Amino acid sequence: MTIVARGLSVHRSGRSILYPTDIIIEPGERVGLVGASGSGKSTLGHALVDTLRARGQSVALVPQSPDDALDPLRSMQFHWREAERALGLDPDVVRRDALFEALRIEAGDMRKRPWAWSRGMQQRFVIALALLGAPDLLVMDEPTSALDPVVAAGTMNLLDAYLKERQTALLLITHDLGLAAARVSRLIVMDACHVVENAPTETVLATPQTSAAKALCAHRNWLELPC
Amino acid sequence: MASVLALFLRASVVLVCTALATFSLLWHAPGDPALAVAIARYQAVVPDAVLDQIRTEAGFNTGFWTAFASWLRPLLQGDFGQSAVTGRDVWPELVTAIGYTVPLAVLGLLIGLFFSIPLALLATKKPGGWLDRLAVALASIGAAIPAYWLGLLLILLFAVQLGWLPAMGARTSAHVILPALTLGLGVAASLTRILRSGLLEARGQSFLPAFRRRGISRRALERDHVAPHAAIPVITVFGLELAFLLEGAVMVEVIFARPGLGTFLVSAIEARDFPKVQAVVILTAVLFVTVNLLIDLLYRAIDPRIGERDA
Ligand SMILES: Nc1ncnc2c1ncn2[C@@H]1O[C@H](COP(=O)(O)OP(=O)(O)O)[C@@H](O)[C@H]1O
Ligand SMILES: [Mg+2]
Repeated sequence: MTIVARGLSVHRSGRSILYPTDIIIEPGERVGLVGASGSGKSTLGHALVDTLRARGQSVALVPQSPDDALDPLRSMQFHWREAERALGLDPDVVRRDALFEALRIEAGDMRKRPWAWSRGMQQRFVIALALLGAPDLLVMDEPTSALDPVVAAGTMNLLDAYLKERQTALLLITHDLGLAAARVSRLIVMDACHVVENAPTETVLATPQTSAAKALCAHRNWLELPC
Repeated sequence: MASVLALFLRASVVLVCTALATFSLLWHAPGDPALAVAIARYQAVVPDAVLDQIRTEAGFNTGFWTAFASWLRPLLQGDFGQSAVTGRDVWPELVTAIGYTVPLAVLGLLIGLFFSIPLALLATKKPGGWLDRLAVALASIGAAIPAYWLGLLLILLFAVQLGWLPAMGARTSAHVILPALTLGLGVAASLTRILRSGLLEARGQSFLPAFRRRGISRRALERDHVAPHAAIPVITVFGLELAFLLEGAVMVEVIFARPGLGTFLVSAIEARDFPKVQAVVILTAVLFVTVNLLIDLLYRAIDPRIGERDA
């Protein structure tokens, strides 16, 4: 199902932090949402997720850091079971193991709390939680910036493979054009709470139209980062 | 495991130090302890020979460490000794006193919880709203009013003006109401403030929005992710709260002329009845150390990171 959200906007403390924006994402499409820090990427991502959820559409969000997704006082098992219950699913170890297998989560002790797991594994666990309900759209907000590059690349590759098998669309939020360029077919560029460009990745990279896109291209990390 | 052992070790050190400190305070207090005992015992001035005899039987003339050791040794076996004034065993009298104080303290705590939990929940519904400001004001007033003043106000209102409740003594079970209310309102004031800030902080945790977007209901969120975090500061101050309760109970018992640990302690101090005073202090210290030990263990159950940081 094509994801359509029109007129997304957000006001906080009496000012606009997101001007009216339309987002349309085809099934299985990979879209990058790029822009400088503070340009409004997270705000747009949250508004999109909240709007779709309110409509009853299946959408999941992976925040930047596992600290923003897991309760340090609760076990991993608790998080998993709670998410299953919220989705109306019965406990199913086979389904869980399949997800863990796909994301190479070396099943750490599920009775342990998040901080007993490595950060890389915590983040993969959060991604697995997001995929639990087989969402139509997965929004990832700088999902790997808290991880070291090698772990980040591994995680993104596994996720790529998993999403390819399904029709799950991906909105990848990042301030790193280099990361986005390698993984998405379309780029949405944000600047000062506006969407300023929306075009296929190659087009933006080859002929950036706006100063924001030009700045991003200029500062793009051309070193061959693994992700 | 090692850190749990360290906890127990710390508890024993605290107990021994408390024993030493009380003994040394009483020992070095100005005035002749033998004279104070003699006056309490005989209600009259007595000849020097009698004072000497008192010194010998209480061990006042043997030197500090000998006296301390001869007091501590039976204590370690659970023997609190005899009153210096009446010669009767301290333990049974102490038990009677505790029998009055424990219900008072427990009731005070229950009253504190009864008022503070709903008040804190209401106040944090809309932080900064009029309910919140009212609750904060009430809590500040409650914390600022000393127990003896509040006790007198309650006596004036409920016993003198309205004549609904008895004020003095402990003849009937209704006699406990006013003292417990005096104590409980003070507890409610401090608990409300702690619970309020604990709840606000717990609701502001950065991971909560992600849980909401995962479709977890408000109720489940409050129960499973807000309450445990809000409970931590409450558990932390529980040890302090206990100190407040005991201290308050002592004062409230004196105001309401109610038998109990407070009355027991005050009369023992006046008579320089060493064994009695020490018995109360040691008992209180044991209670504190035990409660704090339990709190530490409870902490580790809620948040094992606390134990790991210590180690
Ligand atoms: N709750 C809020 N109240 C006020 N301003 C906010 C709030 N959240 C974000 N902003 C502002 O909105 C702008 C966009 O923030 P954000 O979406 O987090 O940017 P990005 O994710 O691109 O770094 C920033 O200028 C930020 O200060
Ligand atoms: Mg952001």
